[in-house]
Amino acid sequence: MRIIFIKSTKKGIMKLKRKLLLMIMATLLIATLAVGCGNTTDNGNNTNASDNPPVANGDNNQAPSEPKEVFRVGMEAGYAPFNWTQIGDANGAIKIDGSPEYAGGYDVEIAKRIAEGLGRELVIVKTDWDGLVPSLQANKIDAIIAGMSPTAKRKESIDFSDNYYKSDLVIVVKKGGKYDGATSLKDFNGSKVTAQLNTFHYTVIDQIEGVNKQSAMDSFPAMRVALEAGMIDGYVSERPEGVSAETANANFKLIEFAPADGFITEDEDTAIAVGLAKGSDLAGPINDALAGISLDEQKQIMDKAIENQPAAQ
Amino acid sequence: MSFALVVDIFIDNWQMFLRGAGITLLVAIVGTIIGSIIGLVIGVIRTIPEPEKGIKRPLLKVVNMFVGAYIEVFRGTPMMVQAMVIYYGSAIALGIQMEILEAAFLVISINTGAYMAEIVRGGIISIDKGQYEAAEAIGMTHLQTMVNVVLPQAIRNILPATGNEFIINIKDSSVLSVIGLTELFYQSKSVSGANYKYFEVFLITSVIYLIMTISVTKILRYVERRMDGAENYDILGNQMQVETPKIVGQDQKDQ
Repeated sequence: MRIIFIKSTKKGIMKLKRKLLLMIMATLLIATLAVGCGNTTDNGNNTNASDNPPVANGDNNQAPSEPKEVFRVGMEAGYAPFNWTQIGDANGAIKIDGSPEYAGGYDVEIAKRIAEGLGRELVIVKTDWDGLVPSLQANKIDAIIAGMSPTAKRKESIDFSDNYYKSDLVIVVKKGGKYDGATSLKDFNGSKVTAQLNTFHYTVIDQIEGVNKQSAMDSFPAMRVALEAGMIDGYVSERPEGVSAETANANFKLIEFAPADGFITEDEDTAIAVGLAKGSDLAGPINDALAGISLDEQKQIMDKAIENQPAAQ
Repeated sequence: MSFALVVDIFIDNWQMFLRGAGITLLVAIVGTIIGSIIGLVIGVIRTIPEPEKGIKRPLLKVVNMFVGAYIEVFRGTPMMVQAMVIYYGSAIALGIQMEILEAAFLVISINTGAYMAEIVRGGIISIDKGQYEAAEAIGMTHLQTMVNVVLPQAIRNILPATGNEFIINIKDSSVLSVIGLTELFYQSKSVSGANYKYFEVFLITSVIYLIMTISVTKILRYVERRMDGAENYDILGNQMQVETPKIVGQDQKDQ
């Protein structure tokens, strides 16, 4: 009898433990969900406000208490130092629409100046790189300010403003690796090099003689992981991104080229401009606003962005 | 890479991770529930026995054709492509402006629905033919047979497969980042895009995904056990039609 008694309580305790574990798991899930939902209601409100159409379009404009028209800008918010996501509003970051987080960076500073010039309220819409052009075409955003170059191909589907930055192409390699210390494209003979999908960074790889061109990658994070893991020898990038990668991660080394030894690029490729919907009437006012930012000022803003980016802190 | 660094990254960005996880879970739950309802309805429609004549016969054929097309299209294309087509396509081609979250619910629900339809059909045809015959013998219609006899058993049988769908939804909702849904994967991309610490960030991400999927597995197993009821049970014999039936094989004094 005694044995049976002990056995049964042991079983009881085990059952209790299991139930407790289950309850903890359920509570955790519900808590996570609550955070997500809290965010969701936030999402609904904010997006409604931003959906208040800047171009009279007749869709759901239910939030009439917005005195200022909004200027919805799409960016990845994950391409430092052009644009990144941070938690607080330090260094003049702007709140991301439908999210409690903030976006900062060179693009955000430029967007602020443009919004000021337009006399509109700036709204940052966080959008995946591949979703930027469709979002613009679908009138979900008014402009793309995301470090995007005005290539001829892109010009077939969207318009671009004047340039607001111009940078040089570089290759980011592993520090202390085989290609650390390269000075010319010729040094990359036989190397495994890649670049971001749907960018001109990828097409210029063909200029390297004898290169082992790898398939294009989805994003900079993916390429940096591949480089760190040794799957590639380097990736093509633009100077600001390269400088940031180098300062943030001690394993990376930025290779810059003298004009004669580097990639031959078109002006339309290395420059960066604001993407606009075809025939957008914002082009004129935006160009006016951009004309007010001198090249020196551009450099200053970029240096500050590189300094302020989360990885540098 | 050190453990302290991983902890630091989590402490600095825990709100972003948690918010992402919340959205992931919300989308997965809504998608699984609505998807299951769609699957249940379609599964029942697809198992209606073909009437031999009358207008019901061509009608059922047409409905079945549409349902079949729906399943083929949504099971045969990647969810990422569906998200692109539905979210941007609805705005460009039809002029309908959808909220990101609405679009995410829609895409994941109809995608899950297509899979669940086949799972439900499998659950229904797994029920023994004798049970249909028995139900028919006591005069039940097809609907009555389904609701009272077949579905309660079928639902219990498809529960493990539904759990599979749930877990797949938790993981696959990550492709919805393509329409800008800030779920866990997109949030992780943002965190790593800002601090350049990829391995550490995605290590945290994978742990969060694992916590979610394991919790869901455990909870579903618990639900299954509850549905099964006790392993041993007493037979209530009441052949004498007394008011308080006594348990067979047990002495009355014990009660």
